[in-house]
Amino acid sequence: MYGFEAMTFNIHGGYLEAIVRGYRAGLLTAADYNNLCQCETLDDIKMHLSATEYGPYLQNEPSPLHTTTIVEKCTLKLVDEYKHMLCQATEPLSTFLEYITYGHMIDNVVLIVTGTLHERDVQELLEKCHPLGMFDSIATLAVAQNMRELYRLVLVDTPLAPYFSECITSEDLDDMNIEIMRNTLYKAYLEDFYKFCQKLGGATAEIMSDLLAFEADRRAVNITINSIGTELTRDDRRKLYSNFGLLYPYGHEELAVCEDIDQVRGVMEKYPPYQSIFSKLSYGESQMLDKAFYEEEVKRLCLAFEQQFHYGVFFAYMRLREQEIRNLMWISECVAQNQKSRVHDSVVFIF
Amino acid sequence: MMEDQEEKGNAENGIGRQKQVKDEYLLQFLDSLDGYLTLLDSLSSTLSQGWLELASARHAMGASRINGALLDLKVHAAATSLKVSEQDVDSMESQPCFTLCKWASSDNGERSSGEEKSLSPQLRHRNNSQLSEEKVSTRTGTPLILVDQQRQKSLSVFGVLVSPKLRSAQLSFERALETLVEIANLHTTMLSMFEQVHKELENTNG
Repeated sequence: MYGFEAMTFNIHGGYLEAIVRGYRAGLLTAADYNNLCQCETLDDIKMHLSATEYGPYLQNEPSPLHTTTIVEKCTLKLVDEYKHMLCQATEPLSTFLEYITYGHMIDNVVLIVTGTLHERDVQELLEKCHPLGMFDSIATLAVAQNMRELYRLVLVDTPLAPYFSECITSEDLDDMNIEIMRNTLYKAYLEDFYKFCQKLGGATAEIMSDLLAFEADRRAVNITINSIGTELTRDDRRKLYSNFGLLYPYGHEELAVCEDIDQVRGVMEKYPPYQSIFSKLSYGESQMLDKAFYEEEVKRLCLAFEQQFHYGVFFAYMRLREQEIRNLMWISECVAQNQKSRVHDSVVFIF
Repeated sequence: MMEDQEEKGNAENGIGRQKQVKDEYLLQFLDSLDGYLTLLDSLSSTLSQGWLELASARHAMGASRINGALLDLKVHAAATSLKVSEQDVDSMESQPCFTLCKWASSDNGERSSGEEKSLSPQLRHRNNSQLSEEKVSTRTGTPLILVDQQRQKSLSVFGVLVSPKLRSAQLSFERALETLVEIANLHTTMLSMFEQVHKELENTNG
């Protein structure tokens, strides 16, 4: 049994919980996806989406459409809903909602720094940033030469400042350092978010611990698979794994020494929740692993709505919308490239 | 009488040989045309596969990690170059021959690692598995580990830890590039054969 959230939650969180449950009802259904998967052109997709909540965001877009336009406009809807919730939220919900966007903030920081290293124009890079991860001084990132300057000039005044303590060096920024910075920041962010949810206690702590532990474990698997055959050493790989989750610490020790996908499978199959994921893949195959992980994530996120009086529904809704936008991106790409037979390779139904 | 018959026999042999030569040119032309059309089809499917794998990588890694704004605008050496040389055909005419120099680093003006391929019908078969490539050395003896390093270097614009789907896309586009050069060589051969056939027809009619 949790605390007596039922008695006090609705005082500050009741309205927004009702709002987010209303938003959840607007997620696309299997019938919507079936219609979208049968579209012949991107204009057909636009026409089908005009009957959904994305309609107002796409209606003024001229033809010919591009897949990035569809993704951009659908993301705008998510951003509007998030901002509506954030401006109505009180503490600690407002801090919780801000935590949800720190991942995008890290992605934006890395995008600007990488693009600057490649001598790209800052304006061009800012247009590619995720709107949920924007902050005031983001454009100033382009002047930093190393991580110390990055921190001192820009990030010290942002919510990412506490995550920088583990990666401040005076080394010049290069591709490897940037990659390590990205993963170290994300690791610190996840651990901080986890601790924050634990402090909130009750149903929020219970549900968010499960969701964040799954995220940490998935990250560990992706880092392992993506680093096979690269210059990243075993020790460096181990340092990028989060210090919580089902795989911590013994699974991480085994993953750190894996040299191919079959060894990763051997490690993961020892953990019953991940056995079902890897059982869907054939030996040596990693192409469908992303979809298998997304399906498991969606299942867990939908379960978060089965309970009331906790903040996990806000996190779950944001993640489900992001999955929906990924689905729309994939369907649009398959339609644009005339590869409709492959559309079900990566679409994850939410309901 | 005997001389007439001998002359008639010689003339018939000459006509037969001419016909054989014409048939040979025609067959070579049709073979090269068939190869050209097959390669065009192969190129189309390889490119489709590459683009879908790139979209799949974007889906897995996120649009902020794979987009055109991350491509490197700094001046740097081309990872792959094309060499055009003249090749003598039957000691009568020369035709251009295209050779792909893949993953050749031209830093300091010298090639430090590379894989030079003359794309002839004996081109070794490539498959998608990087693991199997690591076990096979190149024709020029350049260690494949250097080639893999060059591949990773070119992908590093998108980050060091990239999805295997992005690596597959890279291999697909690499295959497409090889196919393009094969098509160029075959196109040259086809045109040369067509010229030969045309000349023979004109000689016959003349």
